[in-house]
Amino acid sequence: MIWNEIESARREDIEATQLSRLQDTVQRVYSLTPFYKEKFNEIGLKPEDITSLTDISKLPFTTKKDLRAHYPFGLFTVPMSEVIRVHSSSGTTGKPTVVGYTKADMDVWDEVMARVFTMAGATSEDIVHNGYGYGLFTGGLGFHNGAEKIGATIIPASGGMTDRQLMLMRDFGATILAATPTFSLHMAEVAKKTGSNYLKDYKLKAGIFGAEPTSSGLKKEVAEAWGIDYHEVYGLSEIIGPGVACSCKESELLHVFEDHFYFEIIDSETGEIKPEGERGELVITPLTKQALPLLRYRTGDITSITKEPCKCGRTLLRMESIVGRADDMLIISGVNVYPSQIEHVIANTEGVTLNYQIIAEKKGHLDKLEIHVEVSDEIMSDSLGEMAIIKKKIQSALLNNLYINANVILVQPRSLARSEGKAVRIIDKRKD
Amino acid sequence: MYRIKQLSVFIENRTGQITDVTTILSQNNLSIKSINLIDSNDFGLLRVIVDDAQKTKKVLDNAGISLKITDVFAVAIDDHIGSFNEVVTLLSSNNINIEYTYTINNNHNGAFIFKVSPLLFNKTIDILKENNVEVLKEL
Repeated sequence: MIWNEIESARREDIEATQLSRLQDTVQRVYSLTPFYKEKFNEIGLKPEDITSLTDISKLPFTTKKDLRAHYPFGLFTVPMSEVIRVHSSSGTTGKPTVVGYTKADMDVWDEVMARVFTMAGATSEDIVHNGYGYGLFTGGLGFHNGAEKIGATIIPASGGMTDRQLMLMRDFGATILAATPTFSLHMAEVAKKTGSNYLKDYKLKAGIFGAEPTSSGLKKEVAEAWGIDYHEVYGLSEIIGPGVACSCKESELLHVFEDHFYFEIIDSETGEIKPEGERGELVITPLTKQALPLLRYRTGDITSITKEPCKCGRTLLRMESIVGRADDMLIISGVNVYPSQIEHVIANTEGVTLNYQIIAEKKGHLDKLEIHVEVSDEIMSDSLGEMAIIKKKIQSALLNNLYINANVILVQPRSLARSEGKAVRIIDKRKD
Repeated sequence: MYRIKQLSVFIENRTGQITDVTTILSQNNLSIKSINLIDSNDFGLLRVIVDDAQKTKKVLDNAGISLKITDVFAVAIDDHIGSFNEVVTLLSSNNINIEYTYTINNNHNGAFIFKVSPLLFNKTIDILKENNVEVLKEL
């Protein structure tokens, strides 16, 4: 099912809509945000210079740093009387980034989240268990509003308290699960303790997962653990929250709601736009934002995009799952590696769980990579030799597939920091 | 009836790992009959025999500690030179491969713990008994 006909519109129509909305946004920030006006003046650009979508390359970029510099409301283009909601990032490094929404912004957010739910096969008949955290984080309330919009029954469970969440899912007969992939996997592990046929107690048919970069291996594991269709949602608070893009039943690629969000892939170093299909840093320009319109926001996420049509009937641009963060890319002795690639190798090794941590260190002038992997109960053995084989298997797979030398260290099950929110996957000690 | 339940616990190569396990055991009033640590460069296995294997499995499971239960058997130590050699020779002449062995002390004497392939377990016990070797029912 498709929520809005624009999702299957002709490309020319989508692009015409994008251009007129882009021009409005440019005009809006130029006249209302001194920060952008100055930037335009510096490079001698006028809003009227944007006459085609390719002219977007003339516009200046916006970064997270710019948002922090204008903390909290400095880049808002409406008076606070028109702002009806504020969200913010966790801000682990310094000040958080703060975003605001007008009534019109909230309508757009509800709309794109309704498209996400519909893409996952949800209707007003469904019961949605929402395990995303409620609060300043956009996950909880973003999913909440979208589920309400399609008329589904929403269970606002929020994060944490695994046993209680499982009880609610069973007793209320949830059919759609919305949560982070790692928390969903954690819940499945706990549910499994009641016996191997635990799935009979649950009615789940699909899940909508996001907020963490996820490898194919992890997706498969979550889908199989719950016996459901896996839909991946992409979003970030600076743009709107969850609901920027979502995958349908046909493939792992995510449909971008490009009537509201314009996507470009750039070379992180040079800022040049990369051709369709090539990986680079994702840059998004929201096209309909009122409270906080941003131009060419650098997400730091690495992905690629394609305009190839999808079997599901949608004509929207599609993006691949985030491969990593521009700043997460590890260079190990000259080889570029994204943590998701390492995760993929681990996922394909029998007997290890997907709980791992990557630790990069410098030893003298050499890069040293350690990967801590939790042993699963299934491969726990009475023989040191058998366990050493698993370690060797992962090491040689990393060398053969990614050309990196890593020391794999097996650790106790459930010993690595396991978040009920986001997983800590990389510790790069070389950055100090 | 000669099967003694031995628990193998995964041990990371860092300080305090053994304490983690033994603290849980003592807090739960579990008595350790035998304890044996083997290790490689990266990690080790702690093989323990306790008075209540099922309860131990439960408390360690709850603590998130992975373990595996293995059947081993115990042979009483007869205190004269060559007694261990006699048992080992008997097994090898019957083509029974000993995967590992270690000794333990109990209140009276001592015992050898043996691990053989699960497929040969019953056959091994039969051979030992036929040759008048004292196989212990419990420690």
